[in-house]
Amino acid sequence: MTDLFVNKETEGKEEIEIIPTDELPRGRARHKMHGHSHSPMAAFAYYPDKVKFVAADNKEKIVLLLRKHPITNLKWLTTAALMILAPSLVGFMSPFLSLPENFQLILMMGWYLIVLAYIIEQFLDWYFNVNIVTDERIFDVDFVNLIYREITDANIDQIQDVTVQMGGVLGTTFDYGNVVIQTAAEIPQIEFTSVPKPWHKF
Amino acid sequence: MNWGEPILLGAKVFGLLGLGIYIVFAGVVLVQVSRMTDTLEVGFETAIKLMAWLHFAMAIGTFVIAFVIL
Repeated sequence: MTDLFVNKETEGKEEIEIIPTDELPRGRARHKMHGHSHSPMAAFAYYPDKVKFVAADNKEKIVLLLRKHPITNLKWLTTAALMILAPSLVGFMSPFLSLPENFQLILMMGWYLIVLAYIIEQFLDWYFNVNIVTDERIFDVDFVNLIYREITDANIDQIQDVTVQMGGVLGTTFDYGNVVIQTAAEIPQIEFTSVPKPWHKF
Repeated sequence: MNWGEPILLGAKVFGLLGLGIYIVFAGVVLVQVSRMTDTLEVGFETAIKLMAWLHFAMAIGTFVIAFVIL
């Protein structure tokens, strides 16, 4: 079972493997493990300390928590920055300035509410759409829209094939890509999208 | 440009209606955050909930201000 999580191509480099619970390092030793992170924002956390996941059993140990590489946030962060700056550019346009001041104020407040909502939604989308590997299963957690949640899982024993897709300037530069996992479970394919260090996991 | 009274009244009604709908949306965001933090706890939940509540309060605040000054 453990071998599934050792990349043969990177053997001897940075191997991510499932460690039996009784052999798991404790205290400082665990904190020195490669890929271990204390940051709740980490996109790659190996044996994270404080993660609680609703679909995992009590005895199940979370081995890996993954989310999209932080650089993938650049697009929406740029959009948000432009949205923040937009009123100072558009504000000089005549129809807006000809409005009564109270309308201008409310329009401006409404705009920044929309900007705030956009930032919150994009952040939540990045933060909570995660992939989790436990010592028994793999999970793909997707929040499809505001209130719809989709959790796909497959037993590690049911993994049949793993494909790593990596490409593009950003992907190659920042070392992230997709991991497509074919399974014998009810859901035949689970995809980890834009996760960091895709070659180092399977 | 000269904005006539009927147009401004119409804008006020639509503005308040829009902000009212926005309050409902902000409420849905609260539900969404609650569902998300119930699903996964990583240690940043308090800040995220605070952010969602702040957004909700700002939506209500904007509605109240609009109701008063428009």
